[in-house]
Amino acid sequence: MNLEAMTLERLKQGYRIKQFSVKEITTAYLDRIKRLDNKINAFIHLCEEEAVKEAKALDERIASGAEVGPLAGIPVAIKDNICTDGFKTTCASKMLGNFVPPYDATVVKQLKEAGAIVIGKTNMDEFAMGSSTENSAFKITRNPWNRDKVPGGSSGGSAAAVAAGFTPLAIGSDTGGSIRQPAAFCGVVGLKPTYGLVSRYGLIAFASSLDQIGPITKTVKDCAYSLEVITGKDPLDSTCYKGVVNRDYKEILEENIAGLKIGVPREFFQEGVDHEIQQAIKISIKKLEEMRVIVEEFSLPIMDIGLSTYRILSSAEASSNLARYDGIRYGYRSDNSADLEELIVNSRTEAFGKEVKRRIMLGTYVLSSSHYNNYYKKAAENRISIENMFKEALKKYDLIISPTTSQLPFNIGEKIAHSLEMHQSDIYTVFANITGIPAISIPCGFSQSRLPIGLQFMGSPFSEGKLLTVAHQLEERLTLQQQGLELEVREGCD
Amino acid sequence: MKPTIEEIHHIGKLAKLKFTQEEAKAFAKDFKEIFEEFKNASGENFQGFTKADIEVKKTLLREDVVKNFQNKEKLFKNAKEVKENYIVILKAIE
Repeated sequence: MNLEAMTLERLKQGYRIKQFSVKEITTAYLDRIKRLDNKINAFIHLCEEEAVKEAKALDERIASGAEVGPLAGIPVAIKDNICTDGFKTTCASKMLGNFVPPYDATVVKQLKEAGAIVIGKTNMDEFAMGSSTENSAFKITRNPWNRDKVPGGSSGGSAAAVAAGFTPLAIGSDTGGSIRQPAAFCGVVGLKPTYGLVSRYGLIAFASSLDQIGPITKTVKDCAYSLEVITGKDPLDSTCYKGVVNRDYKEILEENIAGLKIGVPREFFQEGVDHEIQQAIKISIKKLEEMRVIVEEFSLPIMDIGLSTYRILSSAEASSNLARYDGIRYGYRSDNSADLEELIVNSRTEAFGKEVKRRIMLGTYVLSSSHYNNYYKKAAENRISIENMFKEALKKYDLIISPTTSQLPFNIGEKIAHSLEMHQSDIYTVFANITGIPAISIPCGFSQSRLPIGLQFMGSPFSEGKLLTVAHQLEERLTLQQQGLELEVREGCD
Repeated sequence: MKPTIEEIHHIGKLAKLKFTQEEAKAFAKDFKEIFEEFKNASGENFQGFTKADIEVKKTLLREDVVKNFQNKEKLFKNAKEVKENYIVILKAIE
């Protein structure tokens, strides 16, 4: 059984013709993880016993002819900042090292109801703060394409798990690019849905106005399958969209895209973009034109403002969200404190990692009374301007195309001491979070050193159908899947 | 504008975190770069914010519905100490 090339679609087909059972598939994935994950470190915990039990129960239901959900028997890995009933959810932090949620996040509930089997929790940057998965308190995840390189972050464990063939589907969260940037670095598909399309109930908050949950898969079609399951209204998340959204994404993947207009922001292709990434995007644009899509260059002069605005806003929200970790109600508690104040300070100082502390400090600073107007308020105003500029651009164009990242995956340890440089990884991805629009990253080529390159499409709010359709048809045209994204060679990499 | 070391320690106090002098110096340097970049970011082509752009955004609150959570066993998994089916809380006042 070639798990590396396995997709949701092939698994569903296999179950239909009784080529294998759910238990066989679940066990095969778990065996592969146990055999190979010591080289990648994609997982923090496995839910082995529960997964096999669920798989057996599902096999019995299928055998009895009972109706099963659209993701029946599909193994799924969940980022470790999304609550799973009875299983540790640590946020890759010492602060939540022993936290066992008494409930499932809404997305986990939806996946389980659809028949998916939760096989484990994936590694991440602590509290989703980082772009390399080196900020985890537990382990550093490695890129399956080259284990000296980072897998991106913060959902690096989820992206690496899909790339390494440990699971066909993983769930991540994206606050400034944390699904799309690791998807690009690991050569897989990652979608950040429109803000409000997917419930965030049970997602441990980093920056609540920017956070969004989304799928990471091998193909765009698999992404459509999984998105259909995790969208929908949720009374437990007040930011969930309450209108009607057409969720039949996979039904429209083959619709004719000729005549659609795609904008190429000139400023996104200037200085600092890796030459091989530029080339790969140019080839993709050519393929789109061959499909009679109209591709036009236009000006979107916001490159410098996006990242700095994101830094201020996300840190401010993080400082507020992370104030709840005081060592008293739950979470890590320091043993060495003389009084209550010292207990809180010591617990937070001992349990939070360097990057988390840095962002709490920056956030507290920009929210403090003497600096609020100069920084937080100004950033909030910038956000409105950026939203307006995207709104105008997306009136002219159906989608906007850009690289997902400006650089190829970098070496482990290369940027960890230079946080501002590390942040550059998110330069193209933060806009979708600032404006709340959907964006998808798909693989569009490889560098000469055989490292994956990602391309990003952004669209108007709730245009996931259009995003997925164009991305799917481009993916088919690029034929990277057929060219061998197989990872078998890496099994032997010691 | 570079934040002073004293300011960093003051912010640390507000954030309930403590730092060594070296760490505070590193923060001051780091923040200076971030703020400079932020100030310089509004390039000449950037179509800045105007008052007319403000949409009054309403805060959406979900209904506050009472739901009984009876599964004490699950809840107690996160308690530091449990005694006779109750959570032992921290003594805050001597």
